[in-house]
Amino acid sequence: MSPLLSFIIVLIGIYGLVISKNIIKSIVCLNITQTAVILLFLNFGNLSDGNIPIIHDSSINIVDPLPQALMITAIVIGSSITALSLIISIKIFHYYGTLNWEKLLEREG
Amino acid sequence: MAFIPIYLIFIPIIASMLVYLLHNKYVNYIIFAAQFFVTLLALKYYSIYNGLTKAQILSLGNWEKNIGIVLKNDQLSIAFIFLSIFIWWIILIYCWNKRKNDFKFLFFLMFLEGCFLGLLQTNDLFNLFVFIEIITIISTILILYKKDGYSVRAGLYYLLFNSTGMLFYLLGLILIYNVSGTLNIDITAQKISVIKDTNFIKLGYIFIMAAIGVKSAFFPVFNWLPKAHGAAPSSISALLSGLLVKSGLYAFIRLNDMFKIKGFEDFFFFLGFLTAICGIIFALSQKDIKQILAFHTISQIGMILIGISSSDSKIYIGGLMHIFNHAIFKSLLFLGAGAIINSYGIRRITEIRGVFKRLPFISICMIIGMLSITGAPLFNGFVSKTIIKYGIGKSSTKILMLFIINLGTSISFIKLSQIFWGTSARENHKNINVYSSMLLLTIMCIVLGIYYKPIIMILFGVNISYIHVFKIKNFISYIFTLSAGYIIYRKAIRKDHEIIQYIRHINISFGATNFLLITFVFIMILWEEIGKFL
Repeated sequence: MSPLLSFIIVLIGIYGLVISKNIIKSIVCLNITQTAVILLFLNFGNLSDGNIPIIHDSSINIVDPLPQALMITAIVIGSSITALSLIISIKIFHYYGTLNWEKLLEREG
Repeated sequence: MAFIPIYLIFIPIIASMLVYLLHNKYVNYIIFAAQFFVTLLALKYYSIYNGLTKAQILSLGNWEKNIGIVLKNDQLSIAFIFLSIFIWWIILIYCWNKRKNDFKFLFFLMFLEGCFLGLLQTNDLFNLFVFIEIITIISTILILYKKDGYSVRAGLYYLLFNSTGMLFYLLGLILIYNVSGTLNIDITAQKISVIKDTNFIKLGYIFIMAAIGVKSAFFPVFNWLPKAHGAAPSSISALLSGLLVKSGLYAFIRLNDMFKIKGFEDFFFFLGFLTAICGIIFALSQKDIKQILAFHTISQIGMILIGISSSDSKIYIGGLMHIFNHAIFKSLLFLGAGAIINSYGIRRITEIRGVFKRLPFISICMIIGMLSITGAPLFNGFVSKTIIKYGIGKSSTKILMLFIINLGTSISFIKLSQIFWGTSARENHKNINVYSSMLLLTIMCIVLGIYYKPIIMILFGVNISYIHVFKIKNFISYIFTLSAGYIIYRKAIRKDHEIIQYIRHINISFGATNFLLITFVFIMILWEEIGKFL
């Protein structure tokens, strides 16, 4: 059930990316999609009654630790992209006075 | 000496950090030392392992291969490493006069080199993702380095759209990891080949190819490239167009090799053709010199895609060779354009006149670059295009498609070459750095065009001595293409028709680009489904 749910959130995020006309909304939608993808990956590695890896000696029925390690990295990358794009959007507002994609791309120079 | 792959990644990064931390204009020269060491180590590595005909694998921390981080070097990656070190030398020499005290710029430039060399050597699906994302972030900062409105806008578009694309890579990665249980590319390839239920794998393949399509600007999702490459400082444009676009194509080669999925060859051929045609149509409508060159990057990527997606070994080698040739002549053209813009202060090709009188040396280099990109005999673009044509052989529709691409390229460079005519006062200010970097690239254009057989033999270990490129037929066909292009230019393109103005003002908004990306994914899924029934 829950992989399906996270996939639905991915689709919601992508829908937002397609329709949103404001830069801030685009960034938020990108974040939603990113979080949903991370959730999806964690769901695949998850076992509801699994043992903790590495600490427990038994290698039976353990949760796969790799997705969690990978997703920490993905979260770091996602947050740095968000930070950078927010800073750039402040700059854009300084130059153009608008955060609307269509108005922005119409301007020459 | 076994740890050279790690040194290749970390020497540029540590040098860049020293430059950033110490803030001293004499310390900045450490970059050249680092660059020199990297070159030396790459050559040493190449000679120790006899040209890496056997792939060398380095497992960091001696973990098992299926859980640890693994670096792998083979002939392909070492050839790309040499190419990138060479291009970085050129860029450093070119921008040294202007940027030698600009420690931030040098920090990002050298950090980027380390990450790019890491991308080339990694043998791990997730590290590939990490390196591509770091490259995206750093190149965004370099694109908007001038901090004017135009470049800031282009930088944001580039950053957001490329990260959206990479999300699809992550989705594909999840599907593949779920099936194979490892991230190592070699082991994944072995496991995939024995699994019968391939629906999951094919969906993963489609997602990953969509992400790579964004990264290397394939047909419906190329819109970020001309903005970003047109807005960046000229040295960075050369780096982006020459090399960083190839990060996507390199991943394409590696991952296609991993999946070994049949049935997409024709799809990528037509996609390459559409990419090339689209790039040419947009290039013909532009008036900005850097925009024209940026759109031609798209058209040449289409050509490369036709080459590297093929299962025929001759076409594949042609495509691979075209990556190298394109890196050299496109950097040359961008650096030349940068010098011209510096001298004139304007970017519209309708206003720049008399470059040959004003900057004779740069004009000669630019003309050689143009001859290369249009495929003139004795220059490097000709060799790879002829090899691709030879590989395609008798199939007349495909040959016609290649001819159309070539014709369009000729028309557009005839249009661009108008800047050389006319008169202008000679400029006496000589910049040795700019001249020497452009001279090196020009020499490489000619050397790769004439001694291509031994170079291909050394780099890829493939003997192509049975392909005779210097035939009279080819010379005549080049002259025919050029004159047909000139006639079309005079009759159709020179006047600024309404349709050309319309194409020039097409703007695809961010939402629409994302919609095109989704469409791209769906078209690939449809192609796969239709292929099942046929």
